[in-house]
Amino acid sequence: MNFELSEEQKMIQQSVERFVQENYDLTNRVKISSEDPGYSQDYWTAMAELGWLGLAFSEEDGGFGGNQIDTLVLMEQFGKGLVLEPFLANIVLGGGAIKRGGTPAIKESVLPNLIEGNLQVTLAYAEEQSRFDIEDVATAAREDGNNFIINGKKSMVLNAESADKIVVVTRTNGSQVDEDGISLFLVDATSAGIERENFPTVDGLRASEITFTDVEVSSDNLIGEKDKGFSILQAVVNDAILALSAEAVGAMEVLYKDTVEYTQQREQFDHPLSDFQVLQHRMVDMFMEYEQCKSLLLRATMETVQDPILAQRTVHALKHLIGKSGIFVGESAVQLHGGMGVTEELRIGHFFKRLLVIDSQFGNSDFHLDKFTSL
Amino acid sequence: MDINLSTEDLQFRDEVRSFFEENKIKQGEDYFAWREGWFKKAREKGGWDVPKWPAKFGGPGWTPTQHYIWEQETAQANLPFDLPFGLGMLAPILMNYGSEEQQERFLPDIRDRKVNWCQGYSEPGAGSDLANLKTKAVLSKDGTYYTVNGSKIWTTLAHMADWIFCLTRTDDSGIKQQGITFLLFPMKQEGIEVKPIITLGGSHTVNTVHFTDVKVPVENRIGEEGKGWTYAKGLLEHERTGLAGLSKSLVELEQLKDKARTIQRGNGNLMDEASYKSKVGELEIDLLATEFTELRSLASAASGGEPGPESSILKLKGTEIKQRIQKLTVEASGIYASAWGDKGAGPSFAKGGTAGYLNSRYFTIYGGASEVQKDIVAKKVLGLTTGKSK
Repeated sequence: MNFELSEEQKMIQQSVERFVQENYDLTNRVKISSEDPGYSQDYWTAMAELGWLGLAFSEEDGGFGGNQIDTLVLMEQFGKGLVLEPFLANIVLGGGAIKRGGTPAIKESVLPNLIEGNLQVTLAYAEEQSRFDIEDVATAAREDGNNFIINGKKSMVLNAESADKIVVVTRTNGSQVDEDGISLFLVDATSAGIERENFPTVDGLRASEITFTDVEVSSDNLIGEKDKGFSILQAVVNDAILALSAEAVGAMEVLYKDTVEYTQQREQFDHPLSDFQVLQHRMVDMFMEYEQCKSLLLRATMETVQDPILAQRTVHALKHLIGKSGIFVGESAVQLHGGMGVTEELRIGHFFKRLLVIDSQFGNSDFHLDKFTSL
Repeated sequence: MDINLSTEDLQFRDEVRSFFEENKIKQGEDYFAWREGWFKKAREKGGWDVPKWPAKFGGPGWTPTQHYIWEQETAQANLPFDLPFGLGMLAPILMNYGSEEQQERFLPDIRDRKVNWCQGYSEPGAGSDLANLKTKAVLSKDGTYYTVNGSKIWTTLAHMADWIFCLTRTDDSGIKQQGITFLLFPMKQEGIEVKPIITLGGSHTVNTVHFTDVKVPVENRIGEEGKGWTYAKGLLEHERTGLAGLSKSLVELEQLKDKARTIQRGNGNLMDEASYKSKVGELEIDLLATEFTELRSLASAASGGEPGPESSILKLKGTEIKQRIQKLTVEASGIYASAWGDKGAGPSFAKGGTAGYLNSRYFTIYGGASEVQKDIVAKKVLGLTTGKSK
């Protein structure tokens, strides 16, 4: 048992940390976020050139043969700057589905381009009624000769605005909430019958509602077997939970450290705020929650690398704690910054918003507590 | 990063398991004879009777991972009872600060579990603010003995102890951390009076101890006069890392779930009730996280460094977890939570459940109350100052 990163991973960690420090001050982030496409194409290209986009893909797929621990290393550092580039949507979600279920032809046409930053793929899985139940899929794919016809609506699709291709989760069999009968297809984002309604999210990122009206897709574009897509979806969602949790841990570290620093500078009643024991204890609580989240993140990630099926329960535990503790740390940071905490001028508010969004994605704290206790 | 135990560690775990299995108490066997034999055999394994002692003093010299494995396995097995005062608290002080004569005089009896020790630290006026102690020790004119007068409180098992290790004040002219002297003396002597304190759970574990003109030979002093605080502080650090008891809590949590499943509710059981299930779930998740916090702290200690900042939260989280298990046990007892004592009614686990809960309240008070622990984390880890410190 050991918690040491490999030499390569340490080097990557340092280089991402430097990248975030040099490029992600608040002013720059706000600027990038407010202009189309909501992230920096230059940064995205740089990330591809540095090899970060290929870390978690096998060498056969054009990557470097890494795993979820490599993604953790990246995402934790991304979390310290609230990086806007669509790593989660492309690499963890879209790319994650294709590397697991794509045919050799699909992998060959998509993954090298994705890793080089020349092509974007996202995943459309959630629906208005599904809330956090990933097996609740109403969007139908009807077989028609060698094709499928997709009809329905997908919700909160991350980075869909910039996506060239979309992996869409559909119902090909069974009732609306069955795990069996779910099929994944890769479709062109510009296919006839696809309509995207784009909007910003609370944290300054982008998402879309997507309507599918008689969208034709060839059966060659199935990701995984027909009706058996659920296990791929679940594995991808678990990876997304690990990745987002790593990002949250990075964000929580910034929040507790910024708060410690701020309370030492700000004076009230002739004392620095940090002199007051009630505030000290709140900051100790923030620090403890951060450390506990980090511990559970390492546990869930290491267990997943070992055996993803056995790790399922720990992944639920992780997302519960990240949601609960992330919001606690965010709210505490705002509270201890006083009036400044509720402005857009300091970065802590932006980190708080990101943690709020993270709790609402891929199942919130209560949802995963329920899953955890049912397993 | 790798979650697997190495082949050597797996072999060690098997060895520990089979040792526990082979040396289980047999039906009808005399408990104390078994206990004595158990420690003897553990000693023959190469210091397994004193797992935490360094190899230099006869301990096994395990790696942090081996200690972790040992703790996990002991939580599952039924080991003979042991007390921490001599073995875990005084022994490290003797090893670090005692003279060779003192080590030879006291350590063997501690190891053989022949002498019971108690800890004379807290006083009526010195709880979490331990350095504020007033028990006076005055050196005789010829410099051969101290005369001790004063009172100690919350002295665990003082009524069963043969000896006490005691913090006394020999000088009050400087700051309160100075002028404290660390003395060892027998409990069964004239001038020492032990009075029981009955705690909320109805049991007698702690006491007040009064000293009237107790004579202590100067060779029973550890280290230098006036430096006792330094020695005791080292020991408190030692105490802190041993307080989490997470492996034990994991076992108790599983037992709690089993109990809750025996309680019928409608067509299901208590574990089907959303609010109860959620509390158990949140507790287990905190435990899963804290276990890894402990492993991270072991790992940073193993790589030669000091325990990382994460180790500072183990006592806080570990004690809170233990208390929550007790509380959920009481909740599971339902109406029988109010039945008092061993003769109480209801399911077997309800008997003594509330007493256990009440006694568990001291987990976040002893060894430095949680609030004091937070002060320490604020200062040592977060670097926060406390304004004008007195």
